Parts: sequence; C-alpha cells; structure tokens
Amino acid sequence: MLGMPLRRRLRLLVATVTAALLALLATGTASAIQPGGITDEARLMNDLFWIVTIAGLIVFGLVGAALVYAMIRYRRQNDELPPQFHGGGKIEAAMVGVPVLIVIGLFTISMIILVQIDDKAEDEALTIDVTGFQFSWQFAYNLNDLGTNTDPNAEGTIAVIGTPANDPILYMPVDEPVEFLLKSNDVIHSFYVKDFLYKLDLIPGRVNSFTVTARETGDFSAQCAELCGTNHALMRFIVRVVERDEFDAWVAAEAARQLGDGALVSASGTQGD
Amino acid sequence: MATVAVPQLSGYHRPAVLDWIMTVDHKRLGILYLYFTLFFFAVGGILALLVRTQLAVADNSFVGNDAYNQIFTMHASAMLFLFIIPVWAGFGNYLVPLQIGAADMAFPRINALSFWMLPPAGILMFAGFIVDGGAADGGWTAYSPLAQQTGVGMDMWIIAVIVLGMSSTIGAANFLVTMFRMRAPGMTMFRMPIFCWTMLVTALLQLLATPVLAAALVMLFIDRNYGGQFFDPNGGGNVVLWQNVFWFYSHPAVYIMILPGMGIVSEILPVFSRKPLFGYKAFVFATIGIGGLGFSVWAHHMFTTGSVLLPFFGFMTFMIGVPTGVKIFNWLGTLWGGSISFPTPMLFAIGFVSMFLIGGINGTYSAAVPVDFALHDTYFVVAHIHYVLFGGSVFAVFGGLYYWFPKIWGRQLNERLGKLHFVLMFVGFNVAFFPMHMLGLDGMPRRIAVYADSAGWEALNMLSTGGAFLIAVSMIPFLIAVVMAFMRPKDQPDDPWEANTLEWATTSPPPDYNFDSLPPVRSERPLFDARHSGEEQGH
Amino acid sequence: MAAHGTAERQGMTNSMLGFILFLASEVMFFGGLFAAYFIARADAPAWPPPLTPEQIAEGVHLELEVLLPAISTGILVLSSVTMQYAVWQIQKGNQGGMLWGLFISLALGIVFLAAQLYDYTQLHFRADDTIYGTTFYTLTGFHGAHVAGGALFIAVVTVRALGGQFTAENHEAVEASSMYWHFVDVVWIALFTVLYIIK
Ligand code: HEM
Ligand SMILES: [Cu+2]
Ligand SMILES: [Cu+2]
Repeated sequence: MLGMPLRRRLRLLVATVTAALLALLATGTASAIQPGGITDEARLMNDLFWIVTIAGLIVFGLVGAALVYAMIRYRRQNDELPPQFHGGGKIEAAMVGVPVLIVIGLFTISMIILVQIDDKAEDEALTIDVTGFQFSWQFAYNLNDLGTNTDPNAEGTIAVIGTPANDPILYMPVDEPVEFLLKSNDVIHSFYVKDFLYKLDLIPGRVNSFTVTARETGDFSAQCAELCGTNHALMRFIVRVVERDEFDAWVAAEAARQLGDGALVSASGTQGD
Repeated sequence: MATVAVPQLSGYHRPAVLDWIMTVDHKRLGILYLYFTLFFFAVGGILALLVRTQLAVADNSFVGNDAYNQIFTMHASAMLFLFIIPVWAGFGNYLVPLQIGAADMAFPRINALSFWMLPPAGILMFAGFIVDGGAADGGWTAYSPLAQQTGVGMDMWIIAVIVLGMSSTIGAANFLVTMFRMRAPGMTMFRMPIFCWTMLVTALLQLLATPVLAAALVMLFIDRNYGGQFFDPNGGGNVVLWQNVFWFYSHPAVYIMILPGMGIVSEILPVFSRKPLFGYKAFVFATIGIGGLGFSVWAHHMFTTGSVLLPFFGFMTFMIGVPTGVKIFNWLGTLWGGSISFPTPMLFAIGFVSMFLIGGINGTYSAAVPVDFALHDTYFVVAHIHYVLFGGSVFAVFGGLYYWFPKIWGRQLNERLGKLHFVLMFVGFNVAFFPMHMLGLDGMPRRIAVYADSAGWEALNMLSTGGAFLIAVSMIPFLIAVVMAFMRPKDQPDDPWEANTLEWATTSPPPDYNFDSLPPVRSERPLFDARHSGEEQGH
Repeated sequence: MAAHGTAERQGMTNSMLGFILFLASEVMFFGGLFAAYFIARADAPAWPPPLTPEQIAEGVHLELEVLLPAISTGILVLSSVTMQYAVWQIQKGNQGGMLWGLFISLALGIVFLAAQLYDYTQLHFRADDTIYGTTFYTLTGFHGAHVAGGALFIAVVTVRALGGQFTAENHEAVEASSMYWHFVDVVWIALFTVLYIIK
C-alpha cells in the first residue's frame, strides 16, 4: 500500500515533524528567559526552575533525537521482517533505573529548596494582614508590628482596600523579611505575586502565612490566582517595594489620614531612629 | 450526529433506528459511544474557540465575565466527562470482546444501560445554559465555597456528573468481568492485547475512584440544597475537605483519561514497525503501577493550600514519572530496529509519543513543589493539561479511529486527507498550546476572562488563538475523509494492516457474535503467529 | 491470574463476580463519606462543634441516645445471621428453611428501618446544625437507603423463593442478597461505632 511514490512525501513529513520539534525546542529555550524573581525565596525557586528545565531539556533532547533517528533509520525499505525482539532483562532494568535516578535526584533537590524557603521568619518581621474578598483585596498593617522600626507603643491599624476597578497597592519595605497572613471570609482566593514566584491560597476558615525578603524596589503587578467568581480576572493588585524610609513615610501619611493626629505622632516617631 | 451515515448491518426487520436504540450488541453500542463522544468533542471544541476568541486580545469584551466562566467550565466538563472518559468506553466496547475472542461483553443489557445514561446526563448538563443563572461556572473542579454560590445550573451539573459516574462505574464492572472471564482458549492474562490491559486498569480505577466522586458530589448537593455544613467553616465544616475528596477521584481520573490512549498507541506502533511491543510485561506492570500510584498523589493539586504534606505528595508525584518513563522506553524500543511505515494511524501514534513526552516533562515542574508555587493555576498548567489530554489522549483517539475505521465500518479513510489532518492538527496544536507555557511563566493565571493590555500577554495569546483555529480547520479534511469513506462500498479485507490481534481475524465489519472460528492463541500476537507459522522467528 | 480455559469457568459465575465488583464500588462510596466525617472531626476544634446562641435558643443540642441504636444494631446483626441461615438451608436443598430465614430477615430489616425513623424524630438537631448534624444525617440516611434497597432485594428473592425458583444447585440470587445484606450490616456496625461510641 505504501509504494515508492509515497516515500518522498513521507520524508517530507518526517522533516516537518522534526522541524516542528526543533522549532519548539528553540522557542522554548529562547523565551524561557522567564523566572527571575525579586525575593530571596524566589531566587531559590529560580534555581530549581532552571535545574528542572535543564533536566527536562536533556530528556527531551535525548528522547526526541532517538525518536527522530528511529523514524528515519528504520523506515520501511523492503518487505523483510525485522528481527523480532521482545526486550529483555538488562534493558528493562535500565528502563526502570534511569527514570528512578532522575526522579530521586529532582525530588531531593526540590526538598532541599523547599526547606530553605519554608524557614520561618523571626517574630519581629513586619506583618501584613491580607484579606481577599469578592473582588478585591484589603491589606492591613498593625502599627505596632511594622518590623525593624516598630514603635511598641503605637496603636491602631491602617488598611488599603481596593475595588475591581481600582487596584489596591501593597506597600512593603525592601531588604527585610515581611510576613503575610492570608484570610478570606467568602470563597477561596489565591495571593499570587509573579515576581515572588509564589502563591498561597486564602481559605475561609484558616489562616495561611508565608514570609519573603524582597531585594528589589519597584512596582510589581499581581493578581488573584484562584477562580473566585464573576470578576476573578479583575482581582488585581500592585506590590510596591520601597526603601525603608519611604515605607515609613507612607505609613505615617496613611496613619494620619486614617487615624487622625494621635496616631501620626507615634507612627512618625519611629521614623527618626 | 447519531443519525448520519448509520451503517446497515442486518436490518431487514425492525426500522434501522429502532434497531440501534434497542441494541445490546457491543459493537453497535461501541459505535453509539463513538458518535456521542465525538459530538461532544465538537461541542467542547466550539466552546474552546469561544474561550480563545475572548482571550485573543487584551481587555476584550466579546463575552462577559459571567459567560466566560460558564463557557470554560462547560468546555472542560464536556471534554472530560462527555468526551474523553466515555470515548474510551466506546473503543473498549467495540474492541475488548473482539480482542479477547469473545462474542460480546459479559452483561450486554447492562452495557446498553451504561450507554443510555449518557445522553440524558449530557442534555441535563448543557440545559444549564438556558436556566436562570446559567450553566455551572465554578470550573470543572467545582471548588467549594464558590460552588455554593451559583444558580441551579450547578445542581444540574452535579446530578449530570453523578449519572455519568454511575455509567462509568457499572461499565467498569462490565469490562472487568468480560476480561477476567471471557477470554478465548489459550489467551492468558499475559497474552491479552495491551489495549485490553490498559482498559482493565482503567476500569479498576473507575470502579474504585468514581464512587468517591459521587460521595463528594452528594455532599456538595446537600450543602447547596439542604443546609449542609460539609464545606462551611462557620458550621465546623472544612473548605479543603472538598479538594481532598474531589482530587482523590480526579487524579486517578487523569489516568482514566490517558491510559487507554497509551493502549491504542501500543497497538499501533508494533503493527507499523512490524515488531512486537518492546517489553510487554514491563508495560503491563508500569500501567498497574501508574494506576496504584494514582491513588496516592491527589494532593499535588493542593500544594498552594498550605494544608498538605508537601514532601510525601511531592515524592509520590515524582514516582509516577518512573512508570511513565518506562512507557516512553517501551515505545522507543518498539520503533528501534523495526521496519517502520507511516500511514495516518502511525503518524498520530508518533504524534502522541512526542506530545506526551512534553506533557510528562512539563508535569515535573509541578511535582517540584517550590516551582509549583510559581506555576500552579497559571497558563503553564493549562499547557500541561492539554499536552497530556490533547497531544496525548486526543491524538490517540484519532490514531485509533484511523486504525480501526476499516474494521468498524469496512472502509478506509483517505490517506492523503488523513495526513493533511495530522499535519494541520499537529502544527495547530503546538501553536495553540506551546505559547501557554510562556504565558504561565509570565504570570498569566488560568480561568481569567480578561487581561490588561499592560500585562504584555497579547501577542502570545493571539498566536495561541490562531493555533486553536488551525486545529478547527484540521477537522475539515477529517470530515471530508469520513464522508468520502461512507460513499464507497465496504471493501476492506479482514486484516488490511497486517496486524497482530484477534479483532483482525474476523470480517470487516465483524458479523453478529464476532467469530466463526478463532486462530490458536499462543502469544500476545496470534495473527502474527498465524501469518508466520511456517518461518522460524526468534522470540 | 493466568487462567486457561474458555468462557464461563468453574467456580463463581459472571453475575456473582459482577456483583462483588459492584459491592466494591459501594464500599468506596461509603469510604468517601466516612473519610469526610473523619477529616471534619479531626479538624474540628471541639466535637461536637460549638453552637451559635440562636441554635441554643431554638433548643438544638448535639447529643445522641445510645440505647435504641444499640438495640437496632442487635436486630441488624441478628438479621444477618438469619440471612446466612437461609443461604445454608438452600445449599442443603431445604426450601422451607430458606423461606423462614428470608422472612425473618426481611421482618428484622423493616423493624430496623422503623426504629431508625423513630430515632430521627427524637433528635434535637437537624442536618443544617453544624457539620455534626450534616454528617450524622448523611451517613445514617445513605445507610438507611441501602437498608431499604437491601430489604427490597430480599423481598424480591422471597417472592421468587415462594415460587420455588431456588434449588441446592441454583440459588445465586439468595447468595447475592445475603452478601448485600452483610455489607449493609458491616457498614452499620462501623457507623454505630464512630457515631455513637467513639466520643
Ligand atoms: C480545540 C482545542 C482546545 C482548545 C483551543 C482549548 C483551550 C482551552 C483554554 C484556553 C483553556 C483555559 C481556560 C481558562 O483557564 O480560562 C482550557 C481549559 C481546559 N481544557 Fe481545553 N482546549 C481544547 C481542547 C481540550 C481537550 C481535548 C480537553 C480534554 C480532553 C481539554 C480540557 C481542558 C481542561 C480540563 C481545562 C481546564 C478548565 C478549568 O480550568 O476548569 N481541552 N482549554
Ligand atoms: Cu479570584
Ligand atoms: Cu493530579
């Protein structure tokens, strides 16, 4: 049924498939300039990402090459029956052994990194209370839990509340650990900051927390990553990482605005230290 | 759909339509399953095109946010529950009795019942679009408490999924009894065709996992309608409970959706390489291993809930990579040293292997727990889902259709059109889904109806939408080939491919009760043995 | 596993194997409900969970009387014994003995159901009163439905037995109904233990 005239077309087809796979590989490597991340934790994850990527590319390259090679080298040339081997002991042992080694290796590395990321921050870390709701965010700061410059006598909390049309801005200082406490009272949301390379769910009935130390200042866009209803796509926010004194100034201004002058005194009092 | 081109088997008494409705014959039921599921593949595909159209440009308002949530939820629900899971029951129905040399399934009437549960469930699920509040819109995962907020369409969805689950549970029992008890003389378990083995493990998973989904759905239904507090923290309930129970089913379900596809590919590759499957037993054990491990990895969908044992589930998830890797070796080893020809079924089979390879590799990202923190619920995962379910399962469906078409309908699908179909689909698929990796890495969450221009995701999304439409275009040569085939007489010989398994030992299409006589079964390739009984072949 | 031979092999029939597989799926269904109960209970700060003032004002209290269900448990276990008696009798070809066994089992099953319904009326909480009420009614409700199904099964078998359809060689339906009945019984014992006994 597959006479000579088809040969050429077949070869063309093999070539198309090969080219497509190679093109994939190329775009894959070229545009996977991705992860990066701006926190200590993200940098660890970035390392792991590249380890997995390199392992994946090696596997893909080897298997893909073998596949293409087999398709060309062993294409049907005559009607003879090829040797009928069914496989056997040693090769089959290798079939199991190689994946086991790869898998154990990757698992070990990812657990080492997981342990490092999970290192809990000291109690003094600045704490931000994040509440997700349909469909925006509230970021609350307790004035006596502001990290390095905390005034233990300060009282009150300040909060930033967004709307679907108006993305709230989450202020945080650079170069110090910040702890996030995540809560929700309606449905599940997920706090996802791409440049943290991290997300964690906000689940009604429980409080989740994580800690990061940002190393770069700037505005980073972020959004909810767990389907939460109609306007899930609009549950965006901005993470603004700033120098410590800028952060303190912002806190002082917000405290004055939200709590009146009394709070302003103690909040701005921390600034001088 | 089910009324077009109904092949005439022996219709001389009742009207043909009635014959089809009343049938308990496994071959006819198999064909009905195929029609039904391909119809919903088309429906799910149209919904996918709506999704891709909405996402083609930033800040689009082609469909509203509410409608979008319904559309992608129903896209996934149709593709999973009404297409891919029952399509294997279709292939299985047609092929398992033939491949093991039996006259029918163990329980023909229960078999008919399994099939006839599907259409009402499909209609019920889609009727959600016309009721107040619209169709289910909480994603196919129906996470609670969100799934408590939506309208009656959600209840219809729940009932439909329960009914579909019952259908596949009793279908599974039927397959198991058929394979355990009705094999031809000489066909030991380890001589069963590999497709049967994958159906066997799939049936076991369905039998044991689907009832747990039913339990979860019942709880959700009680919470929604009778004031239940299962998933309500205010009454002492537990939100994450839903996810635990749901994924306890749905991870095994992932293998329910792919294992028979692996089986089909493992039938096709040996035939067109003219070699036995490399490492038959290793393949069988790997299949069983995937099935077993499948029950211990459910929480890898919940790494970001902050409430799972990360090391354990990370480890088990990686372990699944081992049997999966074994299979890749099985397929490579089968090609290696063969005499390979490339008719359309073979192209789809090789397409499967290459795309499934990518689907396996991008899956390891999510097994590496810290990387999953970044990629979970982004478009990277959407890419992964589709490399496995489309690049994997759907390619296997089409490979199987081209391969068994001569057997089922007695006619060949045109080769040129088939190859065109393959090339368009292969290219379209990769254009549609490969960019999603980059979108995910760039932080685009899944299940969002709109994205801002400033996010910078437009170019890749546009590319992806183009690919999706190319996939749609690829269906045109396929449909033409089908129509052309049905315009020709049934002229196919018993065994047009020089195949290995018993279904090719009878006429195309097979007569009622399948076989007049069976060749002796002395290996997993009885037809190969029959063809080459004179020659001496090293085994 | 590697059995040779043709279609219907010696030993169990296809229908029996199919029925056992069906029971396996039933076990998984209840397994799912039980798992939910255990997860909820393990996660709850207190068990039974605290009530709201409104619930207390309405007179809700989350308590279960053990006496009546304990008697019910005895009844159900006894009915399993009589059911097994029916099977043994027909295995020996004794149709009369089987009929007695079936009748008594059916009667005991109905008594169990009646007792359960009565018990429901005596409780001071509903399905929407915390996860406690929800799990209680879901578990016992689904079990009760299965008891009713099993009783129906036995009733059908009894009618067939009255028509003299079973012999020492041919009495699969009797065995199947008894297996189902034992399954329902075992589920109840598990339910009784976790809901009423473990505090
Ligand atoms: C015509 C080809 C297809 C296209 C263009 C397509 C496109 C998409 C897109 C864009 C999404 C993401 C929606 C969102 O997150 O907002 C999606 C989700 C999904 N698709 Fe497809 N798809 C196709 C075929 C399939 C097939 C064949 C299957 C399964 C057999 C499938 C299963 C799924 C699943 C499970 C989801 C996840 C839905 C969710 O998040 O709840 N798709 N699809
Ligand atoms: Cu959201
Ligand atoms: Cu999974």
